[in-house]
Amino acid sequence: MYSLLVPSFCAINKLSSALFQGGNYIFEFDSFADRDICREFVAAAIAFHGETGKSTSEKPAAALQDEQLSTAEMEHRIKLLQEDNELQRLHKQFVIGGILTEAEFWATRKKLLDQNDRRKPKQRVALKNEMWSVKPLSDGQSNRVTFNLTPEIIHQIFAEKPAVRQAYLKFVPNKMSEKEFWTKYSRAEYLHSTKNVVAAAAEAAEDEELAVFLKQDDMLTNEARRKIRRVDPTLDMEADVGDDYMHLPDHGLLREESKDVLDSQYEPYRRYFSQDLNQHAAVVLQGRVVDVELGDTRSVAEALARTKQAELANEVSDGNLEKDLSHRISRVAEIEDLQGPRDLAVAPLCIKDPRDYFDSQQANALKPLGDAGSGVKTLKFNVSSVEAYGSLRELISEIRVTGLSEPITDPEVAFKVLSGLTQNISSTKYHLGKSPHESILDSLPKVTKEDLLHHWTSIQELLKHFWSSYPITTKYLYTKVTRLKDAMSQVYPKLQVHFVLLDNYNCFLYNGLPTCVYNFSCIFSLNSRKLRNLCSQISGIKFPYLSNQCFRL
Amino acid sequence: MKFQIEDVTVYFPYDNIYPEQYAYMVELKRALDAKGHCLLEMPTGTGKTIALLSLITSYTLSKPSNPVKLLYCTRTVHEMEKTLAELKLLHNYQLHHLGPSVRMLALGLSSRKNLCINPSVVSAENRDSVDAACRKLTASWVRAMAIENPNVRTCSFFDNYEKAASDAILPPGVYTLQDLRAFGKEKGWCPYFLARHMVQFANVVVYSYQYLLDPKVAGIISKEMQRESVVVFDEAHNIDNVCIEALSVSVRSQTLEGAMRNLNRMSQEIDRLKATDAGRLRAEYNRLVEGLAQRGNLPIGDTWFANPALPDDILKEAVPGNIRRAEHFLSVLRRLIQYFKGRLQTENVEKEGPVSFVASINTQVGIDQKMLRFCYDRLHSLMLTLEITDTDEFLHIQTICDLATLVGTYTRGFSIIIEPFDERMPHIPDPVLQLCCHDASLAIKPVFERFQSVVITSGTLSPIDLYPRLLNFNPVVSQSFTMSLTRDCICPMVLTRGSDQLPVSTKYDLRSDPGVEKNYGKLLLEMVSVVPDGIVCFFVSYSYMDGIVNSWHESGILKEIMQHKLVFIETQDVVETTLALDNYRRACDCGRGAVFFSVARGKVAEGIDFDRHYGRLVIMFGVPFQYTLSRILLARLEYLRETFQIKEGDFLTFDALRQAAQCVGRVIRSKADYGMMIFADKRYSRHDKRSKLPGWILSHLRDAHLNLSTDMAVHIAREFLRKMAQPYDKTGAMGKKTLLSQEDLQKTGNGIGEMLF
Repeated sequence: MYSLLVPSFCAINKLSSALFQGGNYIFEFDSFADRDICREFVAAAIAFHGETGKSTSEKPAAALQDEQLSTAEMEHRIKLLQEDNELQRLHKQFVIGGILTEAEFWATRKKLLDQNDRRKPKQRVALKNEMWSVKPLSDGQSNRVTFNLTPEIIHQIFAEKPAVRQAYLKFVPNKMSEKEFWTKYSRAEYLHSTKNVVAAAAEAAEDEELAVFLKQDDMLTNEARRKIRRVDPTLDMEADVGDDYMHLPDHGLLREESKDVLDSQYEPYRRYFSQDLNQHAAVVLQGRVVDVELGDTRSVAEALARTKQAELANEVSDGNLEKDLSHRISRVAEIEDLQGPRDLAVAPLCIKDPRDYFDSQQANALKPLGDAGSGVKTLKFNVSSVEAYGSLRELISEIRVTGLSEPITDPEVAFKVLSGLTQNISSTKYHLGKSPHESILDSLPKVTKEDLLHHWTSIQELLKHFWSSYPITTKYLYTKVTRLKDAMSQVYPKLQVHFVLLDNYNCFLYNGLPTCVYNFSCIFSLNSRKLRNLCSQISGIKFPYLSNQCFRL
Repeated sequence: MKFQIEDVTVYFPYDNIYPEQYAYMVELKRALDAKGHCLLEMPTGTGKTIALLSLITSYTLSKPSNPVKLLYCTRTVHEMEKTLAELKLLHNYQLHHLGPSVRMLALGLSSRKNLCINPSVVSAENRDSVDAACRKLTASWVRAMAIENPNVRTCSFFDNYEKAASDAILPPGVYTLQDLRAFGKEKGWCPYFLARHMVQFANVVVYSYQYLLDPKVAGIISKEMQRESVVVFDEAHNIDNVCIEALSVSVRSQTLEGAMRNLNRMSQEIDRLKATDAGRLRAEYNRLVEGLAQRGNLPIGDTWFANPALPDDILKEAVPGNIRRAEHFLSVLRRLIQYFKGRLQTENVEKEGPVSFVASINTQVGIDQKMLRFCYDRLHSLMLTLEITDTDEFLHIQTICDLATLVGTYTRGFSIIIEPFDERMPHIPDPVLQLCCHDASLAIKPVFERFQSVVITSGTLSPIDLYPRLLNFNPVVSQSFTMSLTRDCICPMVLTRGSDQLPVSTKYDLRSDPGVEKNYGKLLLEMVSVVPDGIVCFFVSYSYMDGIVNSWHESGILKEIMQHKLVFIETQDVVETTLALDNYRRACDCGRGAVFFSVARGKVAEGIDFDRHYGRLVIMFGVPFQYTLSRILLARLEYLRETFQIKEGDFLTFDALRQAAQCVGRVIRSKADYGMMIFADKRYSRHDKRSKLPGWILSHLRDAHLNLSTDMAVHIAREFLRKMAQPYDKTGAMGKKTLLSQEDLQKTGNGIGEMLF
């Protein structure tokens, strides 16, 4: 499928550039899925062209050079770019600007690429909370009745009516075709909608396959009987039925609500709307349990059957059901309101993105948390190995004596620390590009500030690539480095425009471009011969002010 | 916390106590001191149960010389479990403070179906088959046979329990049904028989109303209980109906046919027995001459019968001579069934009193009152003699004998109503003979007489002076408590009009009006978009609910409602309803939000709490009047008017309003909780209806909320929810304390009661 699609991508790419320049095109596709993919791709391409304007010619060239990308990957990248404005700008500047290739650009963001695939499971769309009621479309002239079934509806039917699912797996395609199956099902639904139980029973007697749909769902009944054992005991009304010591029929006053009596032979064909309603809501609540393409009816049915089996197996293996249930009762029994204050509950620490978290915590590691009251001990940061070993031994022996406290840290303290750190992180994020105490950036005009920050990020990007090319062993790397160098040299004059405008640009350098400064200073203080060589190449860039600045720093 | 109430040190398992709980305990203690009965109404959500348990157990502890036993009756099994769980909490607290000397035994008792742990028995479909399956394995003659023939199956749990004999006891502690099963599994003993046995030694027994009120059952289970017991009927607002149900029987033609089959089978058994073991029948005859009282000596597995009418004298009399012989008794029953058959063939509705009914039986088939009275006992004696194990096959004949015994015992308070067809479907012949009890005091009388203190308590017992009349007793304490609220956490409203200003009602002439149905639908639709989490709706009957839900479905309102919340509905099938409730709770827990459609007077309204996020709003659609054309109800109303001078209209309104109050009261469980209640019917705005609501609802019903339309109600709901979602001071800031600590109690001593009221 992909191999078919990828060439068509290039075609579309060209087409879309042509499209951008004017003219109308009509595309034809075999399936909706193809159309959707292409539509998205074209839309993205148009967006790029719209931004880059003239530089349309470079794009296909870059794309051609790329390794063959799968559609999914391509889509993913497009999506990433759409989501992150900054990334898109960088991409536009460097990839479309021809400084970096597509592959190079993404190579440094591998983490971003696969992290998003793995960690963030695709958000599952919930089932629609809408009952499929049969509204037969009759054309008014003939006796024909039309039903509309979509893959979504079929999925819903399978989930809500296990008997239909089972029948499908059994009958299709050996006994009847898919179309016959659904025709039969629709007929059964139609019979039900007329609410004529006798007619339904009569039809079912003649056609045993139809009878499957018309009868009450045995699988549901069995499932109900299984589930009732696991139900919360505080609402188990089934236990009340027959709680009386002896049970005689016809005792007690007649209920005013007498069910309309029906012959027992018709009983299995009776269906209640309330049953459907409950079953529907239960299925919606459970959510989409299978993750398969909805188009393929058979695989949907099979997947649903599999999940049911897995559920069953889980239930059998679940041994502490009783304990769980009695725990539930005792929890309900308590009146929280009258209870004194409780200890905080222990929750496991869960850090979604460790790098992000710890990087931003570096600053915190060196300075105590905001509140002095929490009794932070002053720690020595420079210790000799002997000292460190000594203190470690001390700690271990202490734990040997007292044992680990449970939980290890006092929940209250842990909570305080956690909230302190979280606050710090959010504030660091907020103060991105400016130090907490001095915010000269803020004093700048907004446009200048944004421009500066953008330059900062782009230089960072370039430097990242620059350093990743070291050591320069191939010609390819050499050209890349040159390219990067050129690009950086272009940034400088732009920056200088701002510097000239600013009185206090030293401060700006210090505050706004710490990473750049650090990098450059590294370059200039390196010793190895190769690097000297490199430096001399770079010195061609001529950063007179900056280099002076660096050495002073 | 612990504190003194006069001479009793009360142990209360929480750090704080509501003032009304304290006042409740004070009143309760007075009743216990006076050794009399009492009637206490306290709003739901103020911790009645724990206050009761805490005071009564502490009372026992403070008087070790004369310990009282607590018989706690609940309406449902899950309430039983909840009560035991609270008791466990309390017991742990007492153990912690007083040490192991205060150990007590508390247990719940239920049917075999809820206690059995034998997998082959408990898997049976319904409770009757569970009972029968159990008897097949545990009856004394089955076990006797098993000793000779190893192929006869018995129940290993029962055998182990028997083998352990006097060692088979429950160590002290609090046992829920779950715990009993777990204990039984661990020891390999049958929890059902163990619990039955331990009931007489336990300090606290929690079981269903039936075990005390139904004389058939009470005669077996509760006859060993000593007089020094405190009986508590919790959630007792419907106790009169339970009493009446316990003594009512109905017979249809299917019953009669089944009974005939039973008789044929029994006469075959008699013939067989005569040929093989005639001595057994003779032994039975001799036993009957001496009177039936002996049956107490039967092995435990067999004592499963008792007379449906309790008066003690009946047990001392000998069985009349003409039914002592098995064949004679069967022929008496045959004649009786023939008589019933003849009566069922009537084409008109007939109604008569028990006296004339008995007289007519006597003249037509020659069975006198005394013979009728002994039918039930005689039948069970015969069934034991014949060693019949599949008792669930013999339910029909038991029903007939039950009816005969009741008719033979009581001369007033009953009527016999024979209807050839259902009023609403006159074209379908469905003859039924009903013996209906009208007098609730008959069933509960033995309880009041036998036990020292009977406590009747509920969230809704208004008007509180009516219950002593209905149940015919004299309470020493009769008190209704209000709720001290920190903030106005309940918001009752009366909605009389839809947004189009047309009145809404379930009155007969308006009921099926499409405009009313639409207005009700729109009300719910507006509310689902405003109220978070759970909403509960109560309808007046199943048929009305089905009708209106169907019409909402057809008009698309249901679809719109579903865009906001999931919809679950109560059905007549208990299993399905339970699962629907479980899912409803899960939907509320996960934040999806849900609506539950339920029926006033249904099982859900009776026993399920919709506290906290499980119910932020209850809508009562209509006034849940009983079906007033029912002959049984009419007969009862007539009886009430003649005997107690209670007017029909008053009783019907009282009954409807207590149901409505019960439905909406499910929404509050503690003072931290909050919820709204909408009475959606124009009739609620009338003073005579409204004033029957319990005081704690009325005190929050503002005049401005008495005549609302849908859009006004939505506005109020928005405001209320916004206000309630704020954090607040639990102890009550404005002068009045709503949460007392130990120090508060010590400081004020017994002045609390005055402070409150």
